Amino acid sequence: MTPSLELKSVCKAYGNFVAVDNVSLVVEPGSIFGLLGPNGAGKTTTLRMIMDIIAPDSGEVLLYGRSRQPGDTETVGYLPEERGLYRKMTVVDHLAYFAELHGMRRAESLPKIETWLGRVELASWARRRVEELSKGMQQKIQLIGTVLHEPDLLILDEPFSGLDPINQILFKDLLEEYKSGSRAVILSTHIMEQAEKLCDQICLISRGQSVLSGDLSTIKREFGLNSYRLVARGDLDRLSLVPGITKVLPSNGGVRLLLEPEAKGSAVLGEIAQILDVHEFHSEEPELEEIFIRVVKDAHL
Amino acid sequence: MRISKVKTITKREYLARLKSKGFWISTIALPVLMAAWAVVPGLMVANTRAGQTLAVVDLTGRVAKPLAEQLDEWSKRSTDLLGGGQPVSFELEIMPPGEDADTLRQRLDRQVLDGEIDAWIWIDEDLLAEDRVEYHSESVSNFITQEVLGSAVSRVVRAIRLEEAGYDADVVAELSRSVDLETIRLSEEGSEAETGIGGFALAFGLFMILYMTTLIYGQQVMHGVLEEKSSRVVEVILAAVQPVELLAGKLLGICLAGLTQLAIWIGTLVLLTAPGFMTLFAFMPAGVELPTLAPSLVIHFFLFFLLGYFFYATFYAMIGSAFNNSQDAQQMASIGVIFVVAPWIFFLPVLNDPDSTVSVVTSLIPVFTPFLMLLRIAIKTPPAWQIALGYLLTALLCAAMIWLCARIYRVGILMYGKKPSLREIVRWIRYA
Repeated sequence: MTPSLELKSVCKAYGNFVAVDNVSLVVEPGSIFGLLGPNGAGKTTTLRMIMDIIAPDSGEVLLYGRSRQPGDTETVGYLPEERGLYRKMTVVDHLAYFAELHGMRRAESLPKIETWLGRVELASWARRRVEELSKGMQQKIQLIGTVLHEPDLLILDEPFSGLDPINQILFKDLLEEYKSGSRAVILSTHIMEQAEKLCDQICLISRGQSVLSGDLSTIKREFGLNSYRLVARGDLDRLSLVPGITKVLPSNGGVRLLLEPEAKGSAVLGEIAQILDVHEFHSEEPELEEIFIRVVKDAHL
Repeated sequence: MRISKVKTITKREYLARLKSKGFWISTIALPVLMAAWAVVPGLMVANTRAGQTLAVVDLTGRVAKPLAEQLDEWSKRSTDLLGGGQPVSFELEIMPPGEDADTLRQRLDRQVLDGEIDAWIWIDEDLLAEDRVEYHSESVSNFITQEVLGSAVSRVVRAIRLEEAGYDADVVAELSRSVDLETIRLSEEGSEAETGIGGFALAFGLFMILYMTTLIYGQQVMHGVLEEKSSRVVEVILAAVQPVELLAGKLLGICLAGLTQLAIWIGTLVLLTAPGFMTLFAFMPAGVELPTLAPSLVIHFFLFFLLGYFFYATFYAMIGSAFNNSQDAQQMASIGVIFVVAPWIFFLPVLNDPDSTVSVVTSLIPVFTPFLMLLRIAIKTPPAWQIALGYLLTALLCAAMIWLCARIYRVGILMYGKKPSLREIVRWIRYA
């Protein structure tokens, strides 16, 4: 299958500052791709180059296996990090305007606007002016504006910033549902927890460079620390005396045990069972945040 | 550039302005203000000055009576001129001169302050020899009363002097009839009788409207660009269109809004000045003729609006895109005020002598052409080559401005953060 999006060795510098340094990535249809990294890593610059808002100094951006064409605005949806709405327009007019800019006729877009507003529970706000809406409501309108024309590639720059937890869940559900068949989603975020729950593939960038990329589950396996979760009753201080355990970290309601690389979980469990009353013991995958911190530290040492 | 995208943006910009209250308020306010400016002073004169009571102390004994006659005649004439309404008249109370001068003066002052009389006039033999008459009133800025009184006294005194010199009173009256000046404007389209004040009002009105609209709509472009930048809507739009399409749509949409407003005004004016239309409504004083608006002048007006608008609008769009907030932008925009104020400096010289070297040269400077050339055309049609050259130079300037604006705009709209230096802006222009 042709990738929805492909970046080949893309570079962009502003004067002496290298914002994006030789970044390559592939986004497959039917997946959610996370572009991750701390603030200022070069995520927004990368997305702007994908959108052809700024031109790369070198490298290639391929959409659906070919270079960008003017008509692509009708099959791509983009939610920039710096986003806003015209305050004086009504919600319906505004959404119809976005749809029209993406090549949809007003009559065609109106029923879709109604459906979408219903889904995000803003149906009764359709005729109100944007300025009467709360920040969170405006975020929802912006997301609808990005997906109304049903783009095959959805590009979202920090889509969750400023959203309350309930709306974050709503957005996640919508995105999960949106990716299907030929559609792909690429989103940037600096909050690893969100990426962890949502993304199929990721690319970690730091100071403009791609430091880690690939399938999220594969990455997690590769970065698996010999780590276990334990819930037990007894004197937990004695755990540090058990052979094979290097570290004991408190972790909600229990502890996290880091073992020596060669230590076997079952052997350690045997030892622990002799001194404590074990309720729960299982191996744990590393959190993306940990992987991220380790990789970034390694990359810039 | 994709025309369909530009059309979509143009439509939004146009409707956004037509839906705003400000548009309709200004559409109605301007004609009302202009009408008020033209009509209200006349009405005030007609109504408030009706029936003034003046005390006259005539130490010569020869001026007061003929003065009363003169003023009666004047009030009759002015009543005719203003077409009915309250007659403007003066009630003269001739004071017997027997009293002691100082006591009399004090008593008359008291009467003015108590509101029994409006003013008093002192006609002294000695003073008259020095061509002077005293006028005492609470308000000394009532020009019309003073003007009327002054000229009435002059006439009377002139007649007395001529009689003293041995001329017959009737002959004097016959020979000193006043003459009314009938102003006729010549142009290639044929002569037309026009009142001088009407021709001036037309030239001034058109100049004023053109000046205000180009400036206001130019500034609207700046505010529109700034609004999109500060509300962060611009990048969302750029997901679908190119910067140059957004700029073109914005310039055209606001331009159409300006043209709509002008069309409403000029249409109303054409209707009002159409022969015979005004007499349908009797609110316009008879005798005051409104100048008719020549079709060619209307065409020039709209063309000059387009050129002036595109010059100022692109100038302001550049400023709006380069800066992030109105304060910074206003500072820069104040430089533009130089171009804006200059036409006013040349307004009177051009009005006085539309063919002088100063008038010709200034009206051919592209930034001023729309205003000053229009003014010249409104007063006296200049040679065709000058008009053509004016259009050509201004159109070239506009084309250059549009090019420059497009290059600065596409970079500027995505620049947030600190104020760019002039050198940075120059670098934007050179970006591929």
